Amino acid sequence: MQSSSLRLPSLMCRNLDIRKMRFSMMARKVGVVAAGHAKFGKRLDATMRELSAEAYKPIYDAGITQDMIDATVLSYAASQFSGQGAGSALIADYLGLHEKPHLRVESACTTGTASLRAAWGMVSAGLYDTMLVLGVEQMNRVSSAKATEYMSQAGDMRWEYPYGISFPAFYALMASRYMAEYDLPHEVLSKISVKSHHYGAQNPYAHLPRTVTVEEAHNSVPITRPLNLYDCSLISDGAAAIVIAAEEKAKEFTDEPMWIKGIGAGASSMMIQDRESLTSIPGAKSAAKAAYDMAGVGPEDIDMAQVHDCFTIAELIAYEDLGFAEPGKGRELIENKEVYHDGSIPVNCDGGLKSKGHPLGATGVSMVYEIYSQMRGEAREPSRQIDDVQIGLAHNVGQSGQFVNVFILERGW
Amino acid sequence: MLGRADNSLTSSFLSGVGKTMAATDEVYLGYTTDEATTPFLRDFLDALAEGTLMKSVCTECGREYLPPREHCQDDLSKCELEEFEEREAKLYSYTIVDFAPETLSSKAPYVVGIGEFPSGLRLTAHITNLMSVPEIGMDMKLAFDEVDERLVTYKWLV
Repeated sequence: MQSSSLRLPSLMCRNLDIRKMRFSMMARKVGVVAAGHAKFGKRLDATMRELSAEAYKPIYDAGITQDMIDATVLSYAASQFSGQGAGSALIADYLGLHEKPHLRVESACTTGTASLRAAWGMVSAGLYDTMLVLGVEQMNRVSSAKATEYMSQAGDMRWEYPYGISFPAFYALMASRYMAEYDLPHEVLSKISVKSHHYGAQNPYAHLPRTVTVEEAHNSVPITRPLNLYDCSLISDGAAAIVIAAEEKAKEFTDEPMWIKGIGAGASSMMIQDRESLTSIPGAKSAAKAAYDMAGVGPEDIDMAQVHDCFTIAELIAYEDLGFAEPGKGRELIENKEVYHDGSIPVNCDGGLKSKGHPLGATGVSMVYEIYSQMRGEAREPSRQIDDVQIGLAHNVGQSGQFVNVFILERGW
Repeated sequence: MLGRADNSLTSSFLSGVGKTMAATDEVYLGYTTDEATTPFLRDFLDALAEGTLMKSVCTECGREYLPPREHCQDDLSKCELEEFEEREAKLYSYTIVDFAPETLSSKAPYVVGIGEFPSGLRLTAHITNLMSVPEIGMDMKLAFDEVDERLVTYKWLV
C-alpha cells in the first residue's frame, strides 16, 4: 500500500530541515537513580496496592517525591490473581501520584522489564524526564493448583492448554530434551538450586530464605518430571520499583546513576513444539545479541548477571544463550562455582526466582534493583557482595521464551 | 527419578482437543471451554470425530501445518484442510505432569509428549499407555480415543 506521505513532496521538503535534525538527534542517555523493593513471600498481610507502596516507600524516603515524577509505568502480569482490571490507575492513586500519566504493560514474566523498556523509550525520546517503573504481583490468594492453571493459560489456549501443559511442564519439555542431547544428570540442576538457596538465605527480601543440600534438591517431590519441587521457582507476592531519569535530570537526583547501556528484546514461537531446538531459547539469543551490540560489550565484559531462573534448566540454558558458556557446556559454570559471587561470572546472587521468589510482574524490576544494589556495594551481606561491579546484565524471559528482554546496565560513577 | 510405581503412568483419560468440543457454554475464568469455534476449526473437529486427523495446507505456497491453522504464517493466505495420514512418530520430548493445573488435577499424573513424524511435522498430545519413564527418540503411534459418539481426541501410544 502506498503511504500517503509519499504524495506530499512539497510538505516533505518544507520539513526537511526539521526531519534531518530529528534523525540526527541521539536518543537521550537514561539512568536508574533510585530503587525500592518489597519483601517477597506469601504476603497474606498485603495486596497489590500495599505491596506497591512498600516498593515505592524507600524511593520516597530517598527524596524522590510524587511531584518529581513526570509519568509512570505500573504493571502486573495477570489480572486473574487479583481480579483487578486496569490496575495502574489503582496503584497510581494508592501511591499518591495524582494526575500523573500512567499505564500498565503486560508480557507475562517479562512484564517488569517490558515496563522499563517502554519507559526508557519515553524518557530517551524526550517525552518525560523522570519516570517511575513499578512491577507487582499478588499470587497467593489462590491455591497453587489455581495459580498453575492461570499460568498455563499463557500457553496456546486451543492446542496446548487442553493437554494440561503447565508453566513447569513447558520447561520440563526443554529439560527432557537437554538432558537427552547433552547427557546431563539431574544432580547438575540440583546444584543450581543449591546456589540459589545459598544466596536467598542471605537476602532479607527473599520468599524462601533457607539453604538446601544437593540430596534434598535432587530427591524432592516430582512436579513435572524431570523437574521436581526444587527445580521450580516460587509462587510469590511482591513488588519492586525503580526511578529512571534522563542524563541531565539524573545528575540532579544522584551522583551515582546506573546507565541503561544496552537493551535487546526477542521472541520465540508460540507453540513449543514448533521450535527447532529445545536446548536453547531463540528469543534470548537474539535479545542478548541486540543488547550486547547496543552496549558495545560482549559476554566477557559482564561482571554480574541476573538471569530468569524460573526453573533450574532455564538458568542453565541462560548461561549458554547469553554466551557465558558454549552450548552443552553450561554445567561447567555451576560445577566449578564460576557463577557464585566470587566466581568469574556471578549469577543470581540474590537467590534468583528460585529462592527470592517470582511475583511475575515484579521479577524484571527486581533484577534491575539487585544490579543497582550490587553496583553501589549495598548487597547488605558481605558474603554475597560481588566485587567491583561495572557492568551488569538482566535477562528476563516470559512464558517459555515467547518474550525476552535483556538489559545491560553500567556504573555511572 | 520416577518416585512412583511405574503403573501409575497407565491411566487413560479424557484429554486434549476434545475438551474444546464440548458443545456447552460453560464459562471458565472468562473463557468458554468451547473456545469460539470457527467454521474452519469445526471442520477439523468434525473430521476428528470421524477418526480423521487433518493438517492444513496453504493454498498459495503449500506450507503444511499441524495442528492446522486457517491462515499461512508466511503469506497469510488461506489454508485448506487435508487428511494427515502419518501415524508413526518419534518422541521428541516429554514431561510427566505430577502437579497439574487445577482443571486437570484429577488426571495427574499424565504424560505430555511431542512427537515428530517422518515428514518433520510435530504434534503435542498425551501418551496414555506408558509402563515406564519414556525415552527421547522412542517410537510412538498416533491413536484416537472415542470418549463418546461426538467426542474423539488424538493421543500417543508407545
